[in-house]
Amino acid sequence: MPEERNKEKDECLECKKKDARWRQDFPVEWESDNYVTRREMVKFLALGSLTIAGANAVVAGLPHILKAAEMPRMKVGEISSIPVRGSKLFSYPTKADPCILVRQQNGELVAYSQVCTHLSCAVVHNEQENALFCPCHHGYFSVDEGRPFAGPPTRPLPRIKLEQQGNEIFAVGVEV
Amino acid sequence: MNNRQAQGTTLFTALLVLIGIGVVVQLWLLAASVDALMRHQQTIPLYAALGSAAVFVINGLLVLYVINFDRKIKQ
Repeated sequence: MPEERNKEKDECLECKKKDARWRQDFPVEWESDNYVTRREMVKFLALGSLTIAGANAVVAGLPHILKAAEMPRMKVGEISSIPVRGSKLFSYPTKADPCILVRQQNGELVAYSQVCTHLSCAVVHNEQENALFCPCHHGYFSVDEGRPFAGPPTRPLPRIKLEQQGNEIFAVGVEV
Repeated sequence: MNNRQAQGTTLFTALLVLIGIGVVVQLWLLAASVDALMRHQQTIPLYAALGSAAVFVINGLLVLYVINFDRKIKQ
C-alpha cells in the first residue's frame, strides 16, 4: 500500500510539473529547440575565420585597387589668380567632392579634400597660422602634409595630386 | 564513455577555445587594418592581412586535426 501511495504521489508531482503555471506562460519545447553541436560550432568558426581573412585581404588590397582606377584630369585654375599664402576652392573628382588649393609661402601648391576627417565639416585656410582649420570642432591640419595637429581629428586629409602646365593647374588624382 | 572518447571531448573543447581565440585575434586585426586604412597607412593592412591569413591556416589545421581525430574514434 505505501508503495502505491508513493507512486500516486510521484505521478501527481509529475502532473504538477507539467501543468506548472510557469510552463503555461513560457511554453518552450526544449527538445525541439535548435541544438548546436560543438562540431557545428567549430565549422562555423572555421568559416568565420576564412571570411575575416578574406575581408582583411580586401582591406589590404583596397588602396591598390583605388590607385588603379583612373581619376579624371580637371583644370583647377591659374597660378596667377592665387596669391602667395592664398587659397582657392574647387571640386574634384566630382562636383560633390569639395577641395581646397593652397599656395604656400615658398610658392609650392598643395591641395586637399575640404571634408574634415572628424565629422565632415568643411575646412578653411587659416593664413595666420598657416593651417587648414575646421571651425566646427576647432581641428587643425598642417598645410604641408594635411596631417592633424590640434583638435579632435586623428586622420589626415586626402591629398589631391596636382600637375602644372605653364600657368594652369590640373588635378589628376587623389592620394588615399 | 570510454577513455578515448573522454580524451576526444577534452581535446574538442580545447581546440574550440583555441579556434575561438584565433577568430577574435582576426577580428582585432581587421579592425586595426581598417583603422590604418582610414589613416592612409598602407603597410599595416598588408601585415594585418598576412597575420590574419596565418591565423586562418592555423585554425584550418586545428579543424582538420579534429576531423581526423573524430574519424579515428568512429572507426
